[in-house]
Amino acid sequence: MKWRMQMTKALKINKNVDQSILELLKFLLERGKVKGVFTLKKISKDGAVAYSLITKSDELKDAVPLFPLMPVNAGKLLSRFTLKGESTKPVAAVVKPCELRAFVELVKREQGSLENLFIISSTCGGVYPLKMAVDKTVEKNLSKYWDAVKKAEILDELRPVCKGCEEFTPYTADMTVDLIAKNDIDKQCVILLNTKKGEELVKGMKAEFLEKDLDNGKLDKFQSKREVEKKKLFSEIETKTKDMDGLIDIFGRCIGCHGCMRVCPICYCKLCEFESPNSEYKPPTYESELNKRGGLRVPPGTIYYQLGRLSHISISCVSCGLCEDVCPVDIPISVIFKKVGESVQKVFDYIPGKDVEEEIPLITFDKDELAEVED
Amino acid sequence: MSETSLNSKGVVISAKPNTKEAIIGILEKAMDKEVFDAVLIPMSVPAGDSFVYVLIKDKSLLKDAVPLSPVMSVQGAHAVSSVTRLGSGNMKIAAVMRPCEIRATVELAKLGQTNLENITLISLDCPGVLPMSDFLSDPKKSMSMFDDAVQKWDDKIMRPVCQICDKSSMVAGDIHIGTLGAKKDTFFIISNSQKGNDTLDKLDITLKDSIDSWQAKVKTISEEKQKKRKKNLKDLKSDIGGIDNLLDAFSQCINCHNCMSVCPICFCRLCYFDSDKVKHSSEEYLNRAESKGSIRFLPDTTLFQTGRMLHMSLSCVSCGACEDACPMSIPVAQIFSMIADETQDLFDYVSGRNLEEPLPLVTYKEGELHEVEDAND
Amino acid sequence: MERKIGVYVCECGPNIAEKVDIDKVLNAVSSLEGVAVAEKYKLLCSVDGKKFLEDEIKKHGLTHLVVSACSPKQHEQTFMEVCENAGINPYLFQLANIREQCAWITEDKDEATEKAIRLTKAAIRRVRYHSSLEKKEIECNPDVLVIGGGVAGIEASLQLASSDRKIYLVEKNSSLGGLITNFEKTFPNMKPTSDIIKQKIQDIAENENIKVFTDAEVEEVIGFFGNFEVKIKKKTEENNVVEFDVGAVVLATGSASFDPKKTPGYGYGKFDDVFTALEFEKMNSSGKISLKNGKAPKSVAIIHCVGREEKGYCSEICCMYSLKFACYLKDKIPGVKVSHFYSDLCIPGKSCQKFYEKTTEKNVDFIRATDVEVIKQGDKINIKYKAENNSKNSHPVDMVILSPAIEPTSDTSRLAEITSISQSDGGFFAEEHEKLGPVSTSTDGVYIVGCAQGPKNISETIVQSEAAAGKILSSLVPGRKIEPEVKTSQISESFCIGCKTCISVCPYGAITFDETKKISVVNEVICRGCGSCTAACPSGAATLKHFTFNQLYQEIVEAVQ
Repeated sequence: MKWRMQMTKALKINKNVDQSILELLKFLLERGKVKGVFTLKKISKDGAVAYSLITKSDELKDAVPLFPLMPVNAGKLLSRFTLKGESTKPVAAVVKPCELRAFVELVKREQGSLENLFIISSTCGGVYPLKMAVDKTVEKNLSKYWDAVKKAEILDELRPVCKGCEEFTPYTADMTVDLIAKNDIDKQCVILLNTKKGEELVKGMKAEFLEKDLDNGKLDKFQSKREVEKKKLFSEIETKTKDMDGLIDIFGRCIGCHGCMRVCPICYCKLCEFESPNSEYKPPTYESELNKRGGLRVPPGTIYYQLGRLSHISISCVSCGLCEDVCPVDIPISVIFKKVGESVQKVFDYIPGKDVEEEIPLITFDKDELAEVED
Repeated sequence: MSETSLNSKGVVISAKPNTKEAIIGILEKAMDKEVFDAVLIPMSVPAGDSFVYVLIKDKSLLKDAVPLSPVMSVQGAHAVSSVTRLGSGNMKIAAVMRPCEIRATVELAKLGQTNLENITLISLDCPGVLPMSDFLSDPKKSMSMFDDAVQKWDDKIMRPVCQICDKSSMVAGDIHIGTLGAKKDTFFIISNSQKGNDTLDKLDITLKDSIDSWQAKVKTISEEKQKKRKKNLKDLKSDIGGIDNLLDAFSQCINCHNCMSVCPICFCRLCYFDSDKVKHSSEEYLNRAESKGSIRFLPDTTLFQTGRMLHMSLSCVSCGACEDACPMSIPVAQIFSMIADETQDLFDYVSGRNLEEPLPLVTYKEGELHEVEDAND
Repeated sequence: MERKIGVYVCECGPNIAEKVDIDKVLNAVSSLEGVAVAEKYKLLCSVDGKKFLEDEIKKHGLTHLVVSACSPKQHEQTFMEVCENAGINPYLFQLANIREQCAWITEDKDEATEKAIRLTKAAIRRVRYHSSLEKKEIECNPDVLVIGGGVAGIEASLQLASSDRKIYLVEKNSSLGGLITNFEKTFPNMKPTSDIIKQKIQDIAENENIKVFTDAEVEEVIGFFGNFEVKIKKKTEENNVVEFDVGAVVLATGSASFDPKKTPGYGYGKFDDVFTALEFEKMNSSGKISLKNGKAPKSVAIIHCVGREEKGYCSEICCMYSLKFACYLKDKIPGVKVSHFYSDLCIPGKSCQKFYEKTTEKNVDFIRATDVEVIKQGDKINIKYKAENNSKNSHPVDMVILSPAIEPTSDTSRLAEITSISQSDGGFFAEEHEKLGPVSTSTDGVYIVGCAQGPKNISETIVQSEAAAGKILSSLVPGRKIEPEVKTSQISESFCIGCKTCISVCPYGAITFDETKKISVVNEVICRGCGSCTAACPSGAATLKHFTFNQLYQEIVEAVQ
């Protein structure tokens, strides 16, 4: 199974997982192991949660590293942090597996650097949709969330794509917090140290060091559950993505705000093609289109934009689901992109963000590839 | 209210079988007579769960058009701009939109983003528009609720900024359809420009009737709305005034920039706040974080919001598209309306009321703003 | 490219050395990234100092130079030349002002040192982001545009025209000469006007270096001293726009008169036989002075200072021409009674007192009066006034001549905008300096002469025309090279969306609009690098060379850290 690792060194802290991570972060900052930490933090009196870059350990008191919310894809943030050059100082980041994969995909495209960054991730139980942050119902549903994580169950209230996500363990993190199916996370926290970097980082920490592995049996079961959910999600939109009429139906209410593009970690272009002069209709085009069709939706290119974005990013889509959270008209965009993304990735046996050395298939010429299409 | 009405007379039109069909009838006639080659007007999408602007050339599509749609999925000014930004084209187009959309179109024309040469702007008295999320929860029910609200001219279910809109009957285009104050089963058609006059002429519509009852009704309603607007925005100001309150107001903002994308006035190809200018090195960010102990990442959320206010508030028409698009339900439209009212007031400017009126920010008047100069003497 | 930044702190004699701990500054910066050397020197702007810098640059193979010393206004140019001589692009240099902005204004030495360190660090950080910029050179255009074909414009044109300098003389009316052509004589010597103007107009016509456009108006003047592009419009022709280039512009548009209809108490426009000064001049020039009924007037009142209170200034010449009117009347109508009603008399200059005395000898009354009102009693005109002793009097006359204040012409605002100069008191064109720059303006290369600048008489006008000509002759020398601004603006083609905000704020008309691409384009020769477009562009598509966002940002961030 893809998440099987050899027995790795691990760290055990005898506190609940939230407290344990905070202790880890405190240690890193106070010992000068890192100069800053990226993590979720409560930033206002009414409890709004956003990613923050923390340099002083007493600011950690408001940090909520494992909060089940993703207001921004952290991969995008790490990319911005290292866009102008690798991080000059060591920095740790607590991110979810899909966020890490997104960042790796961006690094492959020169949109960031992994140097000097220490990634702390976890086996991920998904996140709540942003609507719950708007309704301020995340706090009161926290225990429900952790219960489901402990029991390796899938909550209905999660982001749709989280429910069907099979990539819930990180590939390239320096440390992985073992969460799913662990029913002792209220009392203790096990953090797998996957890399030498990770091991070095926690040297000197007051905690128990042991050898550990993920519980593959339990995770296999969990994966099956997730697969079932995924199939459900896909079948719901199956008919809608079969043909043009279906696409018109499902994308009909798209208002062209391009919010999905802006929050997508993989969309990194300075000026999106669909906002550039190339996508502007000139008056003669309007006139000829009108002559052909009798009526033309304005601004045009609604489905063109969606299909275009699909063709540009589906090879690297990590199904984080931020696109759907941000859509003002509730189009199940994340499910569509997940479905198409996985189909495209399957053609090349490619898992985005799994290995930073693995080249992006669409720009790699492999002589023996896709011969079946040729013939 | 428009101060540029060319005519103090309008014409009373029969609204049989109903207002909507009567308006469509006039548009059909206009296309028959080739007064217009195409009409830009909302229509329902095939799935029936939204309304979008469609440029109609095939007259038979007009019967499905909805002059006053229950939702504003795309601000009309965006639609007009996408058709004519690169030139006026050869088609004579009638654009049927709400007053705030017309005003935004006028502002865009001043900013070189729309060419109005072949466009005839037709507005209607507007009861407001439903918030998109409310509409989506039950489109069918929402449509009948909307129709009801139109009958009663009741704005309770409309966008928050619609509820405090005192310009819902403002005439800023060429022709206006006035349903308020009209006798049963009739409505007024009013002309506001030479183009409007010529168009109505070609349709054999003579402006011979008094529009006093429309003006009176509009005045009553706007005055009421104005009072409400002043109060609401004053309360809002005390709620979000001061840096701490402002930061709190935008604490949930995820910087998706939806508000900017849907705003008709935000026309920049690449927003300043998406450009290289806000992209810094890791050293910069760490230095900033170190000076405070912790910074939100990405920082400068409030800079984006206040920067956008700075750039567009003089042209803001309080349409509320921004608030509809915000995934975090931040009352952006209300906050921006509050600022826009004050900044426009400073220059005695009302966005979109008059195409000839130059934009205050790029107009130098020697005798202006001396009170600011002298303030520090 | 590896950067090697040389940092040099000037002691500036005692100026900086005594107030700033320079060694501390050097210590603070010598180990910064990219700094190859950090030294101090006694006086960098001296001959030795400059040589020192040049040698240092060559010795260390420096790629960038930072000098912490005095104000850029003082020596930026100096050190840029040093760079050039030493072989590095002069724009890869930054001058930190630690004298005027630090040593000279900070009491405490520690504070001054801290500030000097910050300023120097900021300069070093900024210079890392500098780009090489190349100078441009164009030859200046020695030709001159003279707007207005009256006395002022004619004089300037004749003074300036030569074989290597063309003059374009643009006059909005159909003939040259201006106001003076309406006058029979001029004060104070009462010689015929034709003596002054006729020959001059002839000289203009015969001068092949002066091109005259009548019935024409200036539409556009874009550019800068040595390089203006001009558009004029001829009012009477089909293809009526003419374009040409000049190096300087002289505004000689003369004056207009205050409209006495604005002061109805004087009866102008209400009663017959109430005339303005210009109307009277024309009547006098026709040869016969008469009332509406054709008869010669027996008594005439000349009312001074019409509109003086409204305008708020004295028009300098009206008292004198009013005296001239008295002379006209006495010459043409022996026995006529002439009374002047004035509040103050303005008789300046060496010859005017004599003229006044001669005129009063001819039995002309001078009545100092306030509250002057012209009324009609039956068919007679009566002047009601309050005399000096406060008694209320009345004075019947047949004819009233009003001497109105002088105003700028109606196109003054338009021309001020076109030439980018301001208007000052009274709305006249604003001179650069009231005492030291009476004919130049805030825009290099644009001059104002004659009544366009303020009320004055003919001799003063001639003085100004000659002065402007002199300034142009000495500075706009044919063959002289001018260097347009190097630090110009650029507009990104990909990001410009054609809103024309930059065009609205550009004070120099340096940005044009490309209708095909629908984007704004900067004319780099005309651009003066003021940065207005950069600041106004909402999306940041316009950037200013040498003042890019990043350069400024890096400098500020370092300074306020």
